[in-house]
Amino acid sequence: MPTAQDKQEQWTRFFPRAQNILKRGPRALRKLSGSELTSLIDDYQALTADLARARSLGAPRATVDQLNRSAVAGHNLLYGSIRRPAVFLESDWFGSFARAVRRHLGAVTLSATMLFAPAVATFFAVQFYPSLGYDLVAEGFFNFDPASAENLHNIPSLARPIVSSSIITNNIQVTLLAFGFGLTAGLGTTVLLVFNGVHLGSVAGWMMLHGKEKALWGWIMPHGATELLAICLAGAAGYLLAAAIVLPGQLRRSTALKRAGGDALIIELGCMVMLVIAGLIEGFVSPSSIAYSTRIAVLAASLALWAAYFAGSGHRRRKSTGPSAEAERTQKRTQSIL
Amino acid sequence: MEDAVFISTPDNVTLEFELAGLGSRFCAYLIDGVLIGVLIVAVVVAMFFMPSGLYFFRAALKARSTWLASWNFALLIFFVFLITWGYYVLFEGLRRGSTPGKRKMGIRVVRDDGLPIGFREAALRNLVRAADMLPPPASLLGGVVMLFDPKGRRLGDMLAGTLVVVEKFAAPSDSAAAAAWAARVEQGRSRQALTLPQGVISANQIGLIEQYMARRYTLPPVRSATLAWQITEPLLPLLGEDREALVNRPDRAGYCERLLLQILEMAEGKPPKPGPAPKQRAQAALF
Repeated sequence: MPTAQDKQEQWTRFFPRAQNILKRGPRALRKLSGSELTSLIDDYQALTADLARARSLGAPRATVDQLNRSAVAGHNLLYGSIRRPAVFLESDWFGSFARAVRRHLGAVTLSATMLFAPAVATFFAVQFYPSLGYDLVAEGFFNFDPASAENLHNIPSLARPIVSSSIITNNIQVTLLAFGFGLTAGLGTTVLLVFNGVHLGSVAGWMMLHGKEKALWGWIMPHGATELLAICLAGAAGYLLAAAIVLPGQLRRSTALKRAGGDALIIELGCMVMLVIAGLIEGFVSPSSIAYSTRIAVLAASLALWAAYFAGSGHRRRKSTGPSAEAERTQKRTQSIL
Repeated sequence: MEDAVFISTPDNVTLEFELAGLGSRFCAYLIDGVLIGVLIVAVVVAMFFMPSGLYFFRAALKARSTWLASWNFALLIFFVFLITWGYYVLFEGLRRGSTPGKRKMGIRVVRDDGLPIGFREAALRNLVRAADMLPPPASLLGGVVMLFDPKGRRLGDMLAGTLVVVEKFAAPSDSAAAAAWAARVEQGRSRQALTLPQGVISANQIGLIEQYMARRYTLPPVRSATLAWQITEPLLPLLGEDREALVNRPDRAGYCERLLLQILEMAEGKPPKPGPAPKQRAQAALF
């Protein structure tokens, strides 16, 4: 049985010791020797038992607080390096984006509909009712004069890095909004997608109406596939969150949200990467003076690449079975615990 | 929202976390907002003092641009974006749920199982800030959700599975007495029922008395006096005291406390001192 003095020593040494190891990170715990680790765990167990007794027997608040603080530190220290199945620790991080997208094709379809249906509708509406264009098209496009018959903008090469950078940051911001607004039960995401669709469709319709469609397509083609796909996927990430709120099924809403978060985050992060690629193309390739046929080629290549990635990447390879594979897996699991 | 959450760990330890209030969270938000502004200004200034920045400055003055200046400006845009969206993610991910503002206010983000957060949680709760800030920048949506949630979570916290809690930095108080108590409890010598000739005072009742004695000076005097009476009254027959004589005594609270102390001493196995003299009681009856 510990004496009062033992107890006090145990209490006073544990907290600073735990804090110290915590500060030095998860490696410090692994570096402890066997006896150090055992004494740490013994102290923790004694402390938590004291905490339970102190609480149920109504010890003074200061004592409970002190023990609780030590127990939290000990819990963080001893269990903090065991991760929940984390997204970033997946060994196949490259394929995880494609896998997440494939798992949620429904949300992607919904998002694409919300973006492209208004775009197509306004495109034709502006064709048939040109006066609508004055309501829908941004003012800058009323008397817009393309740089050439095959390209809307011809940006001087010195300005291209700036254009590229601002386009990337702006687009990523848009996807972050589409993603985050999923928490408004999807209303915000829908508004964002529909507005962007209307903008896109009306400008395209307006250019078509004024016979400048070749310049428009020439401009959009190189980066368009990547950029619009990324926006669709970000919308899908937002709808994943919305689905957890609106249709949680058997789960509690907060639990459903937590589960949806993983895939939605992977998709959103993947979108950011896509938009960096799209922004570089939009800043450096689209405003250059390359030929119309090259633009078509870039479009075809990017479409093929994304199709290949999303359809083919991240399929789990069939793992070899048998005792050695099982042993390897067990070993991995043990490693991931500490 | 409640004041605290209790989290049961798999090894059956109950950890208590005091939840951060709306006020301290808002203050931390303000401090971090100011810091983000300062960082952005610092990056802009730093860019102008870099060789390429001076180049940009001169180029701008001469109304012509150069490729170095152009790249420089492109990087600036990128850095400003990185600071505005990455500040929280980086700080909370790297510093176990703490940003400079949160640190200043003594609060921290933890996972809802009590463990420190990682980049996953930091990214999730901060990349969806736009929703909590609706309508910008009033943050009404997040604020209202926080007020109504028992755990005080905003939408981003629910998504990431996180809580914002008060971090206690205070050094452990002098724990000699508490440790002695704990050692005694572990040896099983505390809180046994006390058997008196007139009946038994249960372990729970003794626990109640202990709690009262520990807390009596932190309570308002009136409340303390009322409690002393409420605790003592049912025990009076066991102690052989006359309730009627005691009801109207002016020093009733003090007398009750003496009785309670006496019970505790008996419970700890000390020989009972002679009770209050009967003379005193007779005097009390005269009042």
